[in-house]
Amino acid sequence: MADIPQWLTRPEPYEPPKDRDRFLDRSIVSFVTLLSRFRSQSALERDLLWVSPVSKLAAAVLYVVLVSLARQFGFVYLMLAYAAVLLALLPARELRRCLAGAFAAAALAYLILLPSALAGSRYSITMIPAKAFVCVSFVNLLSRTTRWDRLTGALRRFRFPDLFIFVIDITIKYIALLGEFALQMLYALRLRSVGRNRGKYGSLAGAAGTLFLKSRAMSEELYYAMECRGFTGEYRTARVRPTWRDGVFWALNAGLVLAYFALS
Amino acid sequence: MHIPDNYLSPVTCAVMTAAMVPVWAFAIKKVKKELPKAKLPQLGIGAALTFLMMMYNVPLPGGTSGHAVGGTLIAILMGPSAACVCVSVALLLQALLFGDGGILSFGANCFNMAFVLPFAGYYLYKFIRERVKSKSGEYAGAIAGSYFGLVFAALLTAVEFGLQPLLFRDAAGQPLYCPYSLSVSIPAMVIPHLLVAGPVEAAFTVLILAFVKKVSPDLAEPLPGKKTRGVWGLLLALVCAAPLGLLASGTAWGEWGMDEIAGLAGYTPAGMASGFSFNALLPDYSVSGLPEVLGYILSAVLGTAILVIVFKLIASRKKPAGQH
Repeated sequence: MADIPQWLTRPEPYEPPKDRDRFLDRSIVSFVTLLSRFRSQSALERDLLWVSPVSKLAAAVLYVVLVSLARQFGFVYLMLAYAAVLLALLPARELRRCLAGAFAAAALAYLILLPSALAGSRYSITMIPAKAFVCVSFVNLLSRTTRWDRLTGALRRFRFPDLFIFVIDITIKYIALLGEFALQMLYALRLRSVGRNRGKYGSLAGAAGTLFLKSRAMSEELYYAMECRGFTGEYRTARVRPTWRDGVFWALNAGLVLAYFALS
Repeated sequence: MHIPDNYLSPVTCAVMTAAMVPVWAFAIKKVKKELPKAKLPQLGIGAALTFLMMMYNVPLPGGTSGHAVGGTLIAILMGPSAACVCVSVALLLQALLFGDGGILSFGANCFNMAFVLPFAGYYLYKFIRERVKSKSGEYAGAIAGSYFGLVFAALLTAVEFGLQPLLFRDAAGQPLYCPYSLSVSIPAMVIPHLLVAGPVEAAFTVLILAFVKKVSPDLAEPLPGKKTRGVWGLLLALVCAAPLGLLASGTAWGEWGMDEIAGLAGYTPAGMASGFSFNALLPDYSVSGLPEVLGYILSAVLGTAILVIVFKLIASRKKPAGQH
């Protein structure tokens, strides 16, 4: 058996020069977070807090309007309690995510308004973070408990044109598809960036530019596929029928509107 | 730049949404004319691309990073009307599904990022590209368009924030929504965009444009259209100032101090105009007693002067080349 040459036995430590490339990690994290959000919503087998998506969407907008208009802390407090009750009904995982978003919005509002509070504006620092928390909670409750295809279907009931819903549906699907593709490119860029990358902007622009070209190719493929299946430019969405639960839900909402007027 | 709910009054949100309705109608009509009906899936994929462009983190000096918006880039690649529709859809999904940007403030966010940003950016790009007919002219247009498009949008966001404490106060005089007036909101929004976010946006835009032109030149061909006229800046400033005029007219029936409005709102159109038009930068604008605003206007003057200098240098470099 031949001897191993000496140069092969010698250790060759290689320390790549350190580089500041947090932008790559951050881009990867934001894409991974986005894609996991898509997966978690499509994994919802049935909507949570079941009332029809149409009712949920209308109610979420109503709540945001009422909370924005409210000038008394009493009503905001009532809505906070109501949001807390709904949040308490969620499974722990969804609950944690809803709360994280709401707390982040409230903390940001607090931070932004702190200088004005120090200058004497007490109303903003108490009201706006509380309102932000409540509004973001309701929007998160809506998007975390409803499958997004049902939510776009609900837009149909608000007389949104078919074309618009069609574009939204495609957008949601292709954010996931193109997002996967973008993530693969970022991983590839990460693997190839050993040591110092002098062309950071160039490589990132290359990845983003390729994403544009890919999106063009995908839209042509989609168009041909749709045309092959007889697509003529007309798009119809299925309607969702309301049930007795929606009746109960709207009675509750009527109560909240009355409470708004009673408390203001 | 996404405005969350509760920072703008519902009245402001309604006015901004009302201002956006004709823009959406125009954009959809234009897109339908330019794009065959059956090729509409492109819009959905364009919106998905717009959404994802905002997710790229771009390196900043010192090892930190920030994200670009890409509105002007989308407008250059797909046309401003298609960009308006795509950015609007992306913003709607961000508000509705991700809680990023408010539901009530959706109209205001669209006005800033789906209308002003891509249209201002695109027409500035087109204006320069038509006058400097070379590769560097096109890139200079993309840089200037994306930079100023973003800064205009940031300025407008700041004005929307800054008008809130002037217009909406409770009986005790406490501001009901964003408590910072124009003298705070404008420097706070515009200076970081002038110094950091703007250059990032410009670099991101021009590099992607250069990449696409190199790899797939047929896709990055300039879109056909009428030649832009010099009045575009003035028109744009008027269009942008229109909803603000509506807001200011609300002072007659409100509960706020008229002196305050007269003193502060008086300079707003001046600030707007100097932000949106080359010709409007006249030296006789009254800025006395408002040092922050003076600082902002000076920044705008400096930015515009730099643009003119770059524009002239490119034009003068081109001439000798043409004579040889």
